[in-house]
Amino acid sequence: MDTIVTAGKLNSNEIFNLLKQFITEVIGEEFVEEMDISMDSSFNKDLEMDSIEIVAFSEKIKAHFGDKIDFTGWLSNMDIDELIGLKLGMIVNFIEECQ
Amino acid sequence: MPIIKVNNRDVHIQELNTAAPETILLVHGMCSNLSIYYFRIAPILARHFHVVMYDLKSHGMSEKISSGYDLNSLTDDLVHLMEYLHIASAYLAGYSFGGLICLKMATRFPQRIKKLVLIEAPNPNDDKIRLVMDAYSRESLEHYLNGPNQRKFGNRQMDRKHRLYEHLFHETTIKRDFMQESDFFIDTEIAQIKQETLLLYGSYSPCLEAGENLKEKISSAALFALNGDHDIPLQEPERIGNMMEMFFKNQMAQTYS
Repeated sequence: MDTIVTAGKLNSNEIFNLLKQFITEVIGEEFVEEMDISMDSSFNKDLEMDSIEIVAFSEKIKAHFGDKIDFTGWLSNMDIDELIGLKLGMIVNFIEECQ
Repeated sequence: MPIIKVNNRDVHIQELNTAAPETILLVHGMCSNLSIYYFRIAPILARHFHVVMYDLKSHGMSEKISSGYDLNSLTDDLVHLMEYLHIASAYLAGYSFGGLICLKMATRFPQRIKKLVLIEAPNPNDDKIRLVMDAYSRESLEHYLNGPNQRKFGNRQMDRKHRLYEHLFHETTIKRDFMQESDFFIDTEIAQIKQETLLLYGSYSPCLEAGENLKEKISSAALFALNGDHDIPLQEPERIGNMMEMFFKNQMAQTYS
């Protein structure tokens, strides 16, 4: 079960590792093992995540960071091209700025 | 991710602004999932309303079910979901096949529906839908998804989509159930709908004719053709979200008169 963790401020490397863990939970370890996930990885082209998987990933971010991070609100300002072109590094930066 | 048990089946739902007094229920279309609303449309509606999105059976992250894709069964599912969530009545919106589910809800359970938004609801008598289901193959999927207006899909995404279509078209009753609904638009029950209804269609969509047909049948319906085709929730999400919000807040007349 997802829970809100009120941890201290994370640095970009810790946020990256946390997001990588979320991606693994959503798409499965067997797929992640074949990927070289980096800050430059995009959700569509590199991670091959579909829209419902990005929903699950977003929910994990919301559950972990709670109200500190308005992740859905941030995504809602993007058009469909921006959304599918979204890179992991952009999310890391967004979370780091919001903390 | 909230997975709830409704009638002993796993249903994936997402809710926003649960503290709001009034609820909007959003129903996605065939072969789609709740993400069609989640990123752009639902956050607009959640500024003033409690928003509930759910994945239909076998879609998104809901449980795979082999039967019950006729409009009576699918509206029964929605009523059970409302009962589970203690929602006596709600504003209701549906896209494509989800629009037909909403239309059926308004005919079967009018007391549960305050207002209705139908986005690109097709006429189930349209042979093209049946032909697509009949002719489905992995090759046809790849051909469609690699078309000029599509983003590029990788193997994993293609596999996931193919598994969904294979399941729906070859392992469930969806084709047969859908065919049984072919006379739905000529049923007199649609003309009995009294709820205010907003019809949103793409001006280049082959479904626009269905919207015009519904406008003639439903006494309190208004039709708007937006710039786009059947994919208008992806092409015009902000406009659709804002129009729905105004319609549900009774501000439509002031803005569009």
